[in-house]
Amino acid sequence: MITAETACNDATMPVRAPRSTQSVKTFLYLLTAIPLGAVGAAVLLAGWIAVPLLAITPLVVPALVAFRAAVGGVARLEGATANGLLATRTTPPVQSPGPKGYWRRIPAILGDGAFWKQQVFLLQRFVVGGALAVAEATLLAGSLGYITQPIWYRWAHSGYGAWKVDTLGRAFLLFPAGVLGLVLALILLRPLTAYSRSLAVGLLGGEGPAYPDPASPVAQARRLRALEWHALGVLLLNLFMIVIWATTTPGGYFWPTWTLAPLGVALGIHAWTVYVAARPAGVPRGLALHAGASLGLSLFLVVIWAVTSRGYFWPLWPIAVFALALLVHLAIDRRFRQQSVRIEQLESTRAGAVDQQDAELRRIERNLHDGAQAQLVALGMSIGMAEQKLASDPEGAQRLLADARRGAREALEELRSLARGIHPPVLADRGLEAAIAALADRTPLTVHVDVDVDQRPPAPVETAAYYVVAEALANVGKHAGAEHVDIAVRRESDELVVEITDDGAGGAKASGNGLLGLARRVEALDGTFRVESPVGGPTVVRAVMPCAS
Amino acid sequence: MRVVIAEDLALLRDGLSRLLRDNGFEVVEAVQDGDALIHAVLRERPDIAIVDIRLPPTFRDEGVRAALMLRERAPDTAVLIVSQYVEQAYAAELLAGGGSGVGYLLKDRIMDVDDFVDAVRRVASGGTALDPEVVSQLFARQRDDGPLGRLTPREREVLSLMAEGRSNAAIASELVLTIGAVEKHVANILMKLNLPPSDTDHRRVLAVLEYLRHG
Repeated sequence: MITAETACNDATMPVRAPRSTQSVKTFLYLLTAIPLGAVGAAVLLAGWIAVPLLAITPLVVPALVAFRAAVGGVARLEGATANGLLATRTTPPVQSPGPKGYWRRIPAILGDGAFWKQQVFLLQRFVVGGALAVAEATLLAGSLGYITQPIWYRWAHSGYGAWKVDTLGRAFLLFPAGVLGLVLALILLRPLTAYSRSLAVGLLGGEGPAYPDPASPVAQARRLRALEWHALGVLLLNLFMIVIWATTTPGGYFWPTWTLAPLGVALGIHAWTVYVAARPAGVPRGLALHAGASLGLSLFLVVIWAVTSRGYFWPLWPIAVFALALLVHLAIDRRFRQQSVRIEQLESTRAGAVDQQDAELRRIERNLHDGAQAQLVALGMSIGMAEQKLASDPEGAQRLLADARRGAREALEELRSLARGIHPPVLADRGLEAAIAALADRTPLTVHVDVDVDQRPPAPVETAAYYVVAEALANVGKHAGAEHVDIAVRRESDELVVEITDDGAGGAKASGNGLLGLARRVEALDGTFRVESPVGGPTVVRAVMPCAS
Repeated sequence: MRVVIAEDLALLRDGLSRLLRDNGFEVVEAVQDGDALIHAVLRERPDIAIVDIRLPPTFRDEGVRAALMLRERAPDTAVLIVSQYVEQAYAAELLAGGGSGVGYLLKDRIMDVDDFVDAVRRVASGGTALDPEVVSQLFARQRDDGPLGRLTPREREVLSLMAEGRSNAAIASELVLTIGAVEKHVANILMKLNLPPSDTDHRRVLAVLEYLRHG
């Protein structure tokens, strides 16, 4: 079973590097942050100085274009590095899309999201990436140093305060710390891989290698097991340290703090990641992880401060940096979430538009079936019966034929009104004002029409506006018991505003069938539709649709 | 003959009642939906119920469902479905019971008053009336190189009319032939399609339809 499952997974998932190879590659990737980050930072610095300096001269355009190209070039280099070492697939754009023309390049470049994301990437590569590279390299080198301490302690004369490493025994004491550090450094490379990948993919575009679904029960169980082992290891190690402390220097300086604090913080962060991963979708995971990690590290620094000098509260500075980074992350996250909310909205309104269309077609079919089609059948019947009676009862036949003629006229009227319901000819020929005036003429209500639209809006907007008025008028006639209706259609900057106010009894619900259909129609055009109808009136139906021309 | 009508559009309900009364039928009740139809039929036990397919409340295939229920609960009452469209599947459902006195016609046919009245009488007395539209849908499913391909054009015409449920006499007058000639065509058709000769028109229709549906 298990082998079959594994084989299946292997077959369906893109090949990923084995964990150890990937760790080496990630380490190399972290190291590249130092040279590449420096290049990127230099480009950013040059651009940020040159472009504002030239802002009042025409030279700002070539400067901005050059800056954009330079950022794009470094981003491309970064992308290639990430592709090679992190198995991502990203090709960051070097140029900003947009219209040609000297001055038009400025809004095109400044409005290009990819450009800004690339800058953020370069900046974080220099600041965060560089720091991570130094930290990881130091941890790795230090651990290796501790492990090999027994070999070279004679020449190094290392030590901490009065405690000198001057015997082989003491050198061996550092050995477990070295192993611990090494394991930590290697373990850290895994989340660092994921972190670097998500940054590269998120800011440079493209995609990363496929992961097994992190929400699957299998993946969750695996994460939980790893956490348990981690906790057990930390517990045993610290117990071991405390036992050593208790047997060698009981009551003295409590040095096991130095393993307890970092390992405890690391365990806490690990537990937090597992907890966040198990949360249902909808929680912004990256943000939660970031916040948890920042909090853990801050706590760690405070503990370090507390057990050491307790003088000047130096952790303030790194904590401030963490908070700032978190705020930036929060801002970016909100921006992107707004985008995704917008996409969801688009999808739902599109589905609504399709439903709306379907309902419309069904309505037309029903109208045909019950209207013109039935009238034609009745007409045929009358003619058929007249035919039968022609010889025996000429007067009866004449009556039937008169019925038939009336039926034919009614069928024609029916067809005409149906055609008007599908697309009113006057709207197409004369535009909104004439069409609304025609609507107003056909109702028994007193209607005051005020259409102030200098330029015809796009056809879909016009049609939707027409239907809003038509349906609202029909509703007023049916339910409101109103006498006066005010219809106002006007253009406010890039939006068409349609407002129908009646002096009826109010209490209309926007969820009613006709009004719901209108809401969908308007939302499909990215507009908003509102019905305000307090009991006692007045009722205001208001649709606002963008009509940028 | 006693008739119950189920039709939701007043215009057609009244027109149909008038037409049938003029032609000597007794319209005992004219109702608007499927439930009322079933009650009326169980109460009045008419000779025939004329039912529109689309009835309130859902305006889908209420009429067919009501008709199927009537077939079970009032087998003596014939059912003629009238509709503004024909659907072969509905015809198949109606005929599946194999009972007598079933019809399915387009509303257009009502305009040919004599033919329509004839069809109502035929169905009411246990015969069959299938709309030519249904029959041509059935023919459309046949392959040209099958046994049907061996029929002469005239024989195909006769077969269509047989499938609609017409009697030999009706076929003869429709095609302007003598009854003897029609009988000869019918015998040829049944032989070519390998169908047994039947004693009644209704059985003959069922055999032909069965053949057209399942080859």
